Amino acid sequence: MTSSLGGYSIRRFTPERSMVGKLLARDSVVRRMDWILTAAAIALSAVGSLLVWSATRGRTSINHGDPQYFLIRHLMNLAIGIGLAVGTIAVGHRRVRGVIPILYGVSILLLLAVLSPLGSTVNGAHSWIVIGGGFSLQPSEFAKITIVLGMAMILSGRVDAGDQMHPDNRTVLQSLGLAIVPMGVILLMPDLGSTMVIVVTLLGVLLSSGASNRWVFGLLTVGAAGAVAVWQLHLLSKYQIDRFAAFANPALDPSGVGYNTAQARIAIGSGGLLGKGLFHGGQTTGQFVPEQQTDFVFTVAGEELGFVGAGLIIVLVGIILWRACRISRQATDLYGTIITAGIVAWFAFQSFENIGMTLGIMPVAGIPLPFVSYGGSSMFAVWIGVGLLQSVRIQRPVSA
Amino acid sequence: MQPRPRLRLVTVLLTLVLVVFSVRLFQVQVVDAAAYAAKADLNRYQPVEIAAKRGDITDRFGVPLATSVDADDITADPYLFTPQQAKTDSAPQQAAALLAPIIGGDERTIAQQLSTPKSRYVVLARRQLPQVWNRIKVLKSSLADQAAKHGAPGLLNGVLSEPTSKRVYPNGDLAAGVLGFVNGQQQGAGGLEAGLNGELAGRPGKMTYAQSGSQMIPSAGIQEQSAVPGANVELTIDRDIQWAAQSAISQQVRQSGADRGYVVVQDSRTGQILAMADAPGFDPNDIGRADPAALGNPALQDAYEPGSVSKLMSMSAVLDEGVATPWTHVVVPGTLQRGDRVFHDDVDHGTWDLTLNGVLAKSSNIGTILATGQLGKNQNQANQVLYSYLRKFGIGDPTGLNFPGETPGILAKPQNWSTSQQYTIPFGQGLSVNAVQATSIYSTIANGGVRIQPTLVKGTTGPDGQFTPAPAAKKTRVVGEKTAKTLSEMLESVVGDDQGTGTKAQIDGYRVAGKTGTANRVDPKTGRYHGYTASFMGFAPADAPRVTVSCVIQNPTVGSYFGGQICGPVFKQVMEFALKTLQVPPTGTAGPQIPVDFQSGKQ
Repeated sequence: MTSSLGGYSIRRFTPERSMVGKLLARDSVVRRMDWILTAAAIALSAVGSLLVWSATRGRTSINHGDPQYFLIRHLMNLAIGIGLAVGTIAVGHRRVRGVIPILYGVSILLLLAVLSPLGSTVNGAHSWIVIGGGFSLQPSEFAKITIVLGMAMILSGRVDAGDQMHPDNRTVLQSLGLAIVPMGVILLMPDLGSTMVIVVTLLGVLLSSGASNRWVFGLLTVGAAGAVAVWQLHLLSKYQIDRFAAFANPALDPSGVGYNTAQARIAIGSGGLLGKGLFHGGQTTGQFVPEQQTDFVFTVAGEELGFVGAGLIIVLVGIILWRACRISRQATDLYGTIITAGIVAWFAFQSFENIGMTLGIMPVAGIPLPFVSYGGSSMFAVWIGVGLLQSVRIQRPVSA
Repeated sequence: MQPRPRLRLVTVLLTLVLVVFSVRLFQVQVVDAAAYAAKADLNRYQPVEIAAKRGDITDRFGVPLATSVDADDITADPYLFTPQQAKTDSAPQQAAALLAPIIGGDERTIAQQLSTPKSRYVVLARRQLPQVWNRIKVLKSSLADQAAKHGAPGLLNGVLSEPTSKRVYPNGDLAAGVLGFVNGQQQGAGGLEAGLNGELAGRPGKMTYAQSGSQMIPSAGIQEQSAVPGANVELTIDRDIQWAAQSAISQQVRQSGADRGYVVVQDSRTGQILAMADAPGFDPNDIGRADPAALGNPALQDAYEPGSVSKLMSMSAVLDEGVATPWTHVVVPGTLQRGDRVFHDDVDHGTWDLTLNGVLAKSSNIGTILATGQLGKNQNQANQVLYSYLRKFGIGDPTGLNFPGETPGILAKPQNWSTSQQYTIPFGQGLSVNAVQATSIYSTIANGGVRIQPTLVKGTTGPDGQFTPAPAAKKTRVVGEKTAKTLSEMLESVVGDDQGTGTKAQIDGYRVAGKTGTANRVDPKTGRYHGYTASFMGFAPADAPRVTVSCVIQNPTVGSYFGGQICGPVFKQVMEFALKTLQVPPTGTAGPQIPVDFQSGKQ
């Protein structure tokens, strides 16, 4: 092996094995990566940056008088996110396997910290830790990753070792036990949106693990029963009930609860086929849509970039999910399959829920649009997810 | 089941969902786009009403009695006072401590308003003068500059203003009953402010502008339909005479412990009301603190039984019908039985030998009953004749001023007069009038027998600056000119003759014609007679009348209750002032010498 520190003479006489050459070699990490996935993720992030910029340029009440305040922070988050993805690839999902219990422990500790006085409440959900300097951390975003990794580790362990064809019931129970602890904490916050994401992710993990159908349907049943119980036992906050009521009948109170969705729909609808042009949306510049740089960022695309731009976002989301499914199917071991399937479920549900609520076909929940919405924790988690996808992809045989 | 086929199923499902989303997006953005675009325009274009300037009300010389000035509503956004936004926990309390002395409110109330949860709009003070907002503005910007050094928002950043206007009555309670007042929306709610609201209010305009983040986009085009200001209304009121009338009646109402009183001053030759004052009054600048009972204009809104001042109409009928002359002898017994009632005069007396002139001068009820009894072959016919004169004098009809809440009084048709009514109506009981109607009787005699409908509005000046005079007043002849002159001379005896009841109304150098009234008053609470209505009405100079003045005091409880005693001096005070103000010289002629009594046995 030759490194860049290897010496002047060696590099001069072996140019085909230089740094660049090595990276571009047929069996290299770079060549084995899924570049379509990478391109789609970067394209989506680029569109997202423009949308966040447009949504926050004029919001003097939150941007401290600096039109680029959110753009700069968003790009910083994106850079850190990509860095985390590269780091994840460099470490590789297999090497991570050994430290998963530690990651899981840290994740639980961070979640508990949110419930302690360190946590702070934003829009009814007590799910942030304020770090200071305008930055804050949302541990539930990272919990999604550790749950996927932890379950993948447990479910694949004996199958990948060749002891079993499918995970047995005890293994499935163990993996569910692992997921229930962080879920419970998140539900206590109460962060209903993240809980919903985790439930769907669990479903993806169980489906891909080859666990018996009874577990899959069982989980669906428990999920439905849980939803009924949560409703019946009044475990939901007032704002959450209002959101569902507004979904059922948006005209109920257009300037109250239904206001968000009504204004979101007006923004998207008024964009028409080609949109009003970036920075020229009346609904966006007029600040009629609340939380427009985070949960309702899709409305900026709808209004300013029109059906073409909003459709492009759906297409890019579709490409990412298509590539991720492909990676999952082609993974060489169950461990990789489960990790990637969990990520597919996670990305898919967040994207569908987020876009769906702005289009009025899903109830409102505070869930960011992956790669697009403003928010550091979400951005970091999503890019770590991309890193894991690429890591699984790199491990597959070259010929595949 | 193998994991791989399941993943294929997932891929298919995801594809389906993506298709559903694309179709929904197409529906919203392409199919329904126009409807959503229209809704977006509703958001984007903000219509704002432009208030029309309310017209002024001025006196006959253009001196403003009611006017509108620029003002500001001081409002606030409580959201900006929350600890998260203000970066301090006690922002509402700190801000309230600063604001309370400026807007003159209670500090704790303001702090409470500023900490209204979930509200984005509270009104801290309405209709403040521009200097109030200027002071807040200066304070606000200096606080913001200071706070900016620490990267914090200014303490008063959440305090805002909205331009509006405020109705101001520069003379306080002067003519308040006539002017009335406006409500919180600056719309007329009483008096002429209400009656002439259509003219005064104008028409608000409308401006539509494009907004962004609650701020106007200057370049995006503004549609404006400008407001049409209200017309200025010029009254016939003379501010100075109004002041004299108001201070005179206020003082007498206070001194005599009366419920209330009013004075009407009318130009005898034009019918224009020069003053209409009442006591107790109110300050229309501060309606909240006024006694609700004092908010009206009782000179037009009180219906009362006029009593003896009404005898002028009875005498008009008697003279004009030619059934008697001022010199006609009337033997007046101490009591008179008519129907089932025994009538008395105000003072107990034996048989008086009076002339008809004396009957009026001494205000004998019995003499008046006897005289009006001559108007027809029988009492029924006499009733018909008297009724026709009362109607001609305008009794039972609205004054024509169209004043809100005005009463036309009550005058029954003669066929409905009760047995006692047909004998009481000649001396002014059993019918009711308002003070302007009563004043008009005296102006009619002063004006040679021609009644001129009273007017209160001289004209209006529209937004174009064009003055439109009020329509000419209606004139009707009530009695012959000669009759009027004779009646005027008889009224002089009331004031001038030592035996007359109105000697307190004498004015040095001027000939004064007038009549007293002391009527039994119907208590509005019980509907029964209780207390008195004291009044005095007359005009001067008697031989060339210019001014008619009437004074009415309801339910005097301290000292005398006789009209001549308590209203006579008010009449004199107001009349003297009016004659001076209008620069009316004394005529310098001698008064008539019509006897009030005769020696019994002589012809």
